[in-house]
Amino acid sequence: MIDVDAFFSATGMLFSSGAPWLIVIPGILIGLIFGAIPGLQISMAMAIFLPITLYMDFMQAMLFLTAIFTGGGFGGSIPAILMNIPGTSSALATAFDGYPMAQKGEHNVALGIALGASCFGVIIGYTILLLLISPISQIVLKVGPAEMAVVILWGITLIGSLSSGSVLKGMISGLVGLLIGTIGYSEAGVTRGTFGSPYLLDGVPVIPAMIGMFAASELFRLARKDYLVEDRAARQVSVRLVLVGFRRALANPWIVLRGSLIGVSVGAIPGVGSSVANLLSYMATRRSSPNPESFGKGNPSGVIASESANSTSEAGSMATLLALGIPGGGATAVMLAAFAMHNITGGPQFIREQTDVVYAIIIANFGQAFLLICLGLLFIPVLANVIKIPMNYLVPSVLAMSIFGSFGLTGDLSGPLTVLVFSLLGWVFKRYDYSVPAAVIGILLGGMAEDSIVYSYQISGGQWSYLLERPVAVVILVLLAVSLFGGKVAKFLTGRLGR
Amino acid sequence: MTNRHLIALNKRRVADLTLLVLLAGIASLYCFDAARASTHIYNLIMVLPLSIAIFILCTVQFVAVLRSESIEAEEAREPTGALPVIVLFSLYVLSLNWLGFDVGTAMFVGVFLWVHGERRWPWLIGYSVVFAFVLTFFFSQMLPYPMPMLLPGLANAYPF
Repeated sequence: MIDVDAFFSATGMLFSSGAPWLIVIPGILIGLIFGAIPGLQISMAMAIFLPITLYMDFMQAMLFLTAIFTGGGFGGSIPAILMNIPGTSSALATAFDGYPMAQKGEHNVALGIALGASCFGVIIGYTILLLLISPISQIVLKVGPAEMAVVILWGITLIGSLSSGSVLKGMISGLVGLLIGTIGYSEAGVTRGTFGSPYLLDGVPVIPAMIGMFAASELFRLARKDYLVEDRAARQVSVRLVLVGFRRALANPWIVLRGSLIGVSVGAIPGVGSSVANLLSYMATRRSSPNPESFGKGNPSGVIASESANSTSEAGSMATLLALGIPGGGATAVMLAAFAMHNITGGPQFIREQTDVVYAIIIANFGQAFLLICLGLLFIPVLANVIKIPMNYLVPSVLAMSIFGSFGLTGDLSGPLTVLVFSLLGWVFKRYDYSVPAAVIGILLGGMAEDSIVYSYQISGGQWSYLLERPVAVVILVLLAVSLFGGKVAKFLTGRLGR
Repeated sequence: MTNRHLIALNKRRVADLTLLVLLAGIASLYCFDAARASTHIYNLIMVLPLSIAIFILCTVQFVAVLRSESIEAEEAREPTGALPVIVLFSLYVLSLNWLGFDVGTAMFVGVFLWVHGERRWPWLIGYSVVFAFVLTFFFSQMLPYPMPMLLPGLANAYPF
């Protein structure tokens, strides 16, 4: 599985001098900062700093860009936990339990858990990549719209389980979200649901909609409070508690491992990646938990599941990039640009001929995970002070930041307007007990689901039996069925056998 | 249960029912809009089944709310504390094109602080101006496109 000669050559390239590591630390810091500020994205950071990589050799350029990727993967969890703002779609599930933990005064522990799960996840993800990069790339080649549709369907099933109150209202929220996700141009070449607005031609901007539904609507409610955490003693920033959280993530290796496996496999699918991986991992952990109703109310396992999956999906998307030359998302698209700037083309030939470089990139990520631990532990206590700011200062500041961030995402006023509209929708949904997370998942997956269903329909000519001819789709369908009904079937069978 | 509670309870139920009618209505409108644009299967493959499902679920929930008797009086209380924030935030976003990110943000933060009890004028003015300036400067330098600004020279010019 591993080319031993190339492996030792790669370690030589990395550790013969300290030079490659000098650019990793600023890379991680840039990623942390861009990830932690809602509206600034990892792909944006990588694009801004891409020209600098012209003055580096290919190895250093990749180390720098993957360091930004790694730092940003964790950085996105900070606003999700402290402010309920999932700055990226991959941190969506982190907010489900991270923010309730912060509200209970467990912000230090939650941030520590996110850091631990992210670092542990990166290590596991890249270990899997090191061992299985060739088989993963072969599987990715077999993934088409049908498989993507099934993976997205899997994500959508989370909607049903996210309604803490009325199941019916949860389903309505999720379906309304899915419908919103289909607004804009359709595959038939016509526009729908835009009501004449040019801003909606490309559909509803997903991240501003998420920011509006999650954060802004919550901030409206919080404006009446004095502090995010009312108890003065619980507002303390404690490195010791961050370490407690870090250790708690390590004490749940099975959740991290499951999240990592989901992260690598789903992250490798172009276009789906970490957006869905964190939701699937969250759902799998919730379903297998003896106490599923505690999820969404501050269960640390939810944070571990989400963070381990979204950080590992980085490794999955790197597999697709390195082995096939296909970018899975914005960040890997920038890396592909770095490939082009250095006259390198990703793909099977690249892996075969420059195995040592591929291994060096993978091994460097282990080092980045350890550096992220150190930098994260330095950085978290500074950021966690957000909790000490009085709400009358915090609420307008975060609302304004979300408006700037949403402008940054769309480049025009459609971003701020989307935040406004969806903050009102989120506020109404919360007030009348409709599930906001279910609606957000719907918005996130609606467009993706429609595209992949239409493509599958086009390829299959409308024959649903086509799905059964796709082995990867069948395997995913079986996994979906097991995740949905496996527990119930096992309980039924053990009940029958026990009688 | 007092009369006040009963009124609040009825208000809550009416609001619940209105929201359901709105959701079902908007889903149906969207479906008709999509069908008017094109009845091709690629256009309706998701929209039609989703709209029908939303309509059915909203109808079921509508009947359930009509038949339900026990809504907790505590839940039925009208939380109106968020309304001033919503109005202020809406005005902020809708005025960005005229006030720009610089002045608009300073005014939004300043008015918000005043409404929420901050009466130390140096703090109120100082924080809102400095915060707006730092945020505007940072984003205008980081983003590759022009931002609406009222003050000339703070950042890149916006083509009004």
